[in-house]
Amino acid sequence: MKRGALALLFTVAVVGCPTAAATRTVAAPPPTAESPASLVVALALGDPGLQAGVVRGGDVILARGFEVELARLLARRLGARVDRFVYVPSTTRLLAATATGWQLGLAGIDPSRGGAAGAAFSAPYLTTDVAVVTRRGLDAPRRLADLRPLALCALRGGDAARTAAAVVRPKRPTTLAAGDVRLLAMVQTGSCDAALVPAVQVGRFVEGHRRVLGSVAVRIRRGDGLVAVVPSSGGLDVQAVNRELGRLRRDGTLSRLARTWLRLDPAGLRVLR
Amino acid sequence: MPGGRRPRTRHGALTGRSLRPRRESRLVVRASVVAFSLAALALAAPAGATTTLRHGQIWLIRAGEPVAVPRTAPGIPGLVRSLLAGPTMRERRSGLTSAIPAGTPVNDLSIARRVVTVDLGARFATGRNERSLRARVGQLVRTLRAVPGVLGVRVRIEGGVPVGLFPGYDLRRTVHEPLPEPTVPGPRELEQLLADLGFMAPGGVDGRLDDETSIAVLAFEKWSGLPRDGILDDDVTSALLRATRPQPFLRRPGKRVELLLRRQVALQIVDNRVERVFHISSGSGGRTPTGSFHVYRKERLSWSVPFSTWMPWASYFVGGIAFHEYSPVPAYPASHGCVRMMARDAPLMYAFATYGTPVDVLWEHV
Repeated sequence: MKRGALALLFTVAVVGCPTAAATRTVAAPPPTAESPASLVVALALGDPGLQAGVVRGGDVILARGFEVELARLLARRLGARVDRFVYVPSTTRLLAATATGWQLGLAGIDPSRGGAAGAAFSAPYLTTDVAVVTRRGLDAPRRLADLRPLALCALRGGDAARTAAAVVRPKRPTTLAAGDVRLLAMVQTGSCDAALVPAVQVGRFVEGHRRVLGSVAVRIRRGDGLVAVVPSSGGLDVQAVNRELGRLRRDGTLSRLARTWLRLDPAGLRVLR
Repeated sequence: MPGGRRPRTRHGALTGRSLRPRRESRLVVRASVVAFSLAALALAAPAGATTTLRHGQIWLIRAGEPVAVPRTAPGIPGLVRSLLAGPTMRERRSGLTSAIPAGTPVNDLSIARRVVTVDLGARFATGRNERSLRARVGQLVRTLRAVPGVLGVRVRIEGGVPVGLFPGYDLRRTVHEPLPEPTVPGPRELEQLLADLGFMAPGGVDGRLDDETSIAVLAFEKWSGLPRDGILDDDVTSALLRATRPQPFLRRPGKRVELLLRRQVALQIVDNRVERVFHISSGSGGRTPTGSFHVYRKERLSWSVPFSTWMPWASYFVGGIAFHEYSPVPAYPASHGCVRMMARDAPLMYAFATYGTPVDVLWEHV
């Protein structure tokens, strides 16, 4: 009797296992004609939160960061896997996308700075907006006009000050800080009322300093967002990439990635108008 | 050679016996060239060839600060291996740690042109804590730069060049100096903080802990509820590093003054932003009345009839009560009702509090 029951259990287990395995693999669709089975992804290794790694012989090993994880997820959703990451240090070369040898380029590309020859841009996956970090004791601005009378500060050499001049049109010129540490000190001590920081960097900027800062609740619109480059000769369908990016956004995966690698999801910040 | 002392190279190695003054300079140059060549040869030799014990130091971390610890190791590779091994049990008990992950291997080490190239295993780059990643490169660079003759360090991981993995360091290039660690700020930095927060005039930032600094510290202590002694000690430093700009108690547009009787400070406010915080001493026993007033009379040098004394820089805001210069200005209410101010601060308040400037006198909640 006992032996019979064990045999039955064994049979159920043997028959049941492939079914469970099949259920698990349903999430990744099989490769289609548009998506190659393995992808080579081009990186430029700029922002440490977005992408970093070790360059060895033109390849990037030990790659990590928001865009690296995004590339892996996209590949999986497209039924492929990332074969390797290659290093393309120049964004110009990445945008030229000629004789590439790679199928997807991720390098914090802002399409508002110029188009790509021989390649298509994906839908935006990360904002290029500018976040506003106010000093303590100051109410979070509700409208762009609220920023106008404030003493604003931004990093020297970045886009934030230009954005402030063009969009906010502050009454006083924006003070430029030589580095993150000085910018933080200026907001902490109230030398400036609000710091303008690229939204993708604001999480790391405020990390560990929340107690001495005011709110990080708003952002100023600047362009559409960061996009991936899909070379027309790579065999990857940009529509399929956009479809999967949309799914990643809707199911909260992009937000989770941002919180992991950027310490804060900039898409969660309210847009000032 | 003054005093007949034996010449030393830049790194302190003795170059030879005493020399006679006449031929001194030429011989010193020759000896230096020979010594330098020997040192260069020693550095240029393959890593494995360096077998003699070297008394050096490795850099570990205690309470977030880099600390040099002596080590005796066979040459530079031995020193690096000793660094990667981390602190001993005894050192651990004394609070020493290492940001370098345990078990990080050295794949290769070479020296050329007085630059040490270290190829480490992938473990060196594990983790996402930016401070730890920065600290481990700092430890390696400090350890190797402490070796006499080493000018720079190149860090490689698994034979490749790390890009963006260690925030603050550009490891595509030779690293000559470690990034400065966030250390306890010096007098100048603390004075700058006091000035940025409004407790001190920007012109007073000079790196000297003088009377002006002490008064600014006293104003900060009063504002923060710390013991009022004017001494820039550890408690004040710690509070300063966490401090934000003081906020006014009332919300009103324009230029005005808030006099906080409990804290014994006066705030100069413009459009709800505190521009300056002054150390003051108001009337003892509640002789300075609370309420909202306006500056109605100003005298560059005012004569107090009841107390027969001169009161420079007087701005009267209620009855015979004024902001004015007086000495001393203790840390507690001591006057007959007026608001005593330091000689340095009184002219600033006189210039700010023009006729009609609102003055709110508050017994504030702390």
